[in-house]
Amino acid sequence: MTFELFIFYLFAAVLVFAALRVVTVRNPVHAVLFLVLAFFSSAALWLLLEAEFLALVLVLVYVGAVMVLFLFVVMMLDINVAVLREGFTRYLPVGLLVGLAIVAEMGLVLVRYFVLPPGSAPKPVGPDFSNTRMLGDLLYTHYVYPFEIAAAILLVAIVAAIALTLRRRPGTKHQDPAAQIAVRRRDRVRLVRMDAEKKPE
Amino acid sequence: MTATLLEFWNGLPEDFRIPVLILLKIVAILVPLMLSVAYLTFAERKIIGYMQIRIGPQRVGPRGWLQPIADALKLLLKEIIVPANANRFLFLLAPVLSIGPALAAWSVMPFGHGMVLANVDAGLLFLLALTSMGVYGVIIAGWASNSKYAFLGAMRSAAQMVAYEIAMGFALVGALMAGGSLNLGKIVLAQQGGVLHWFWLPLLPLFFIYFISGVAETNRAPFDVAEGESEIVAGFHVEYSGMAFAVFFLAEYANMILISTLAAVLFLGGWLSPFEGTGWQAYVNWVPGTVWLLLKAAGFLFLFLWFRATFPRYRYDQIMRLGWKVFIPITIVWLFLEGFAILFHLQPWFA
Amino acid sequence: MLEGYLPVLMFIVVGLLVGSVAIMAGFVLGRRRPDPAKLSPYECGFEAFEDSRTKFDVRYYLVAILFIIFDLEIAFLFPWAVALHRIGVFGLAAMGLFLTILVVGFVYEWKRGALEWE
Repeated sequence: MTFELFIFYLFAAVLVFAALRVVTVRNPVHAVLFLVLAFFSSAALWLLLEAEFLALVLVLVYVGAVMVLFLFVVMMLDINVAVLREGFTRYLPVGLLVGLAIVAEMGLVLVRYFVLPPGSAPKPVGPDFSNTRMLGDLLYTHYVYPFEIAAAILLVAIVAAIALTLRRRPGTKHQDPAAQIAVRRRDRVRLVRMDAEKKPE
Repeated sequence: MTATLLEFWNGLPEDFRIPVLILLKIVAILVPLMLSVAYLTFAERKIIGYMQIRIGPQRVGPRGWLQPIADALKLLLKEIIVPANANRFLFLLAPVLSIGPALAAWSVMPFGHGMVLANVDAGLLFLLALTSMGVYGVIIAGWASNSKYAFLGAMRSAAQMVAYEIAMGFALVGALMAGGSLNLGKIVLAQQGGVLHWFWLPLLPLFFIYFISGVAETNRAPFDVAEGESEIVAGFHVEYSGMAFAVFFLAEYANMILISTLAAVLFLGGWLSPFEGTGWQAYVNWVPGTVWLLLKAAGFLFLFLWFRATFPRYRYDQIMRLGWKVFIPITIVWLFLEGFAILFHLQPWFA
Repeated sequence: MLEGYLPVLMFIVVGLLVGSVAIMAGFVLGRRRPDPAKLSPYECGFEAFEDSRTKFDVRYYLVAILFIIFDLEIAFLFPWAVALHRIGVFGLAAMGLFLTILVVGFVYEWKRGALEWE
């Protein structure tokens, strides 16, 4: 067994273990942390496939951003696990159905892979190969249309997030720095001429 | 001595030589790094002391030079308190998660021409991915402590860290546009030709934004509302003591050094000599590039300490405003200007 | 390419080990005299009223969601920045359109006050 293969099996085992724990562990915060571990080990697997950019972006976006949101949510929503478990049997059939569908889909993909004659494996790339640059060459020229669609989807996400979560609480104060800077002396200070109360003798 | 070492080396099987070599290199990076962290705390206390017309620590050893050693020993011998309601495993995992990325980031740092542990192509992306992991240590610490102050501090600092990470990411994109590569060594080489060729000049706003965001990322003054000792006592690590606290502390200072070195690499020409292209260069040719890099990094570290001695703490809403409403718009505009400058080959930076 | 990542992997492992070993050393060398007052969470001198894990301002979720979106933008900017020399004006225009669409979102966010903290 080569060293690479050993690393592959190591991370694959961690990935499967972590993924199982995500759905079996009781504490939701632990579940999210196992999901983080799962993402991390799949990033390592992608790296073994020499998909350098994708692997690092997986860590950057999913581990660094999406999972932070998940953690925020499960930490602060105060999820009561016992209540969540009550619906378990009721949703079981639907869950099983979805699970079966996914297994079937994955099975189809795998069967196709095993039935077709195996293609030649891609050659390992040299240390100077930059797959980020390769991606850049294609993404903004050949695939520019899907790229712009992605922008539109992100725009929808921004608008939706704000529409769903933004609540203005009345009566709170916030600072308006522009108004602060624009203030003039006459807005704040009024000089009043007053005679002294006692006239000097 | 040398003979026995050589014998040991020759006795090693081929396959083990590379990992052993790497391990030695890692130690060669980590030991000076740890020492720098220790003496950075000493420098901090001394410098801030003198800025406030005090002497600072001076009792332990000559002029206080053994103070950091004494501090480390003290922390080592202190009890590690795990609060009764805390989640024990996560409580102890949090400091480890914050120091792991802070140290691992050094693997792609170029200390000189070709002097880099892992010469990977996507170095900058790797760094950004690792720094984005830093937030986990903070959030988990706050949650696992099961203490209100810790939780508040963790939430504050997490929201702050993510806001400034975006500004930082945009600033990094600027540097890599100018350098034309994600590899840190290549970015440095793209800055050859003297002080005016370094990227600080064409990327001036991004340079400032990068460094200020770095200060905010590490939760240092004046962005240290996460600690806010006057309101939430110490923020996310209020419940930590002994070595568990020391590891957080180590991670914070290692991150400061990382940000400073990275600022030197991306914007101040890394290991390149500042006298390049002038008549002075002939006199300083003997200075190794690493020395220049370390000097530049030390300059940034001094700024960290100077900020702490000078500026009052920002208010939280002001911090968020600066991150979202000032830095992000500026970076977006500047990236565009830079894009045009690159396409029209603005001399002398973008040949 | 992969041999470049071996040191990275080793460094990550060493980094995590440094942290764990330090904490273990603290447990071995430090004294241990727990008592209930010491182990109670820090409050200003009185018993904690309730579990500290309470509901939080929804604003934090909004920050996290916006963060994800901007993070994705950065992920899109990386290959673009590296390839900009080769994709030329067309590439610049493509990114220009991309960012313009997102700046519309940013302006909306700003005007709606999603970036205000009281």
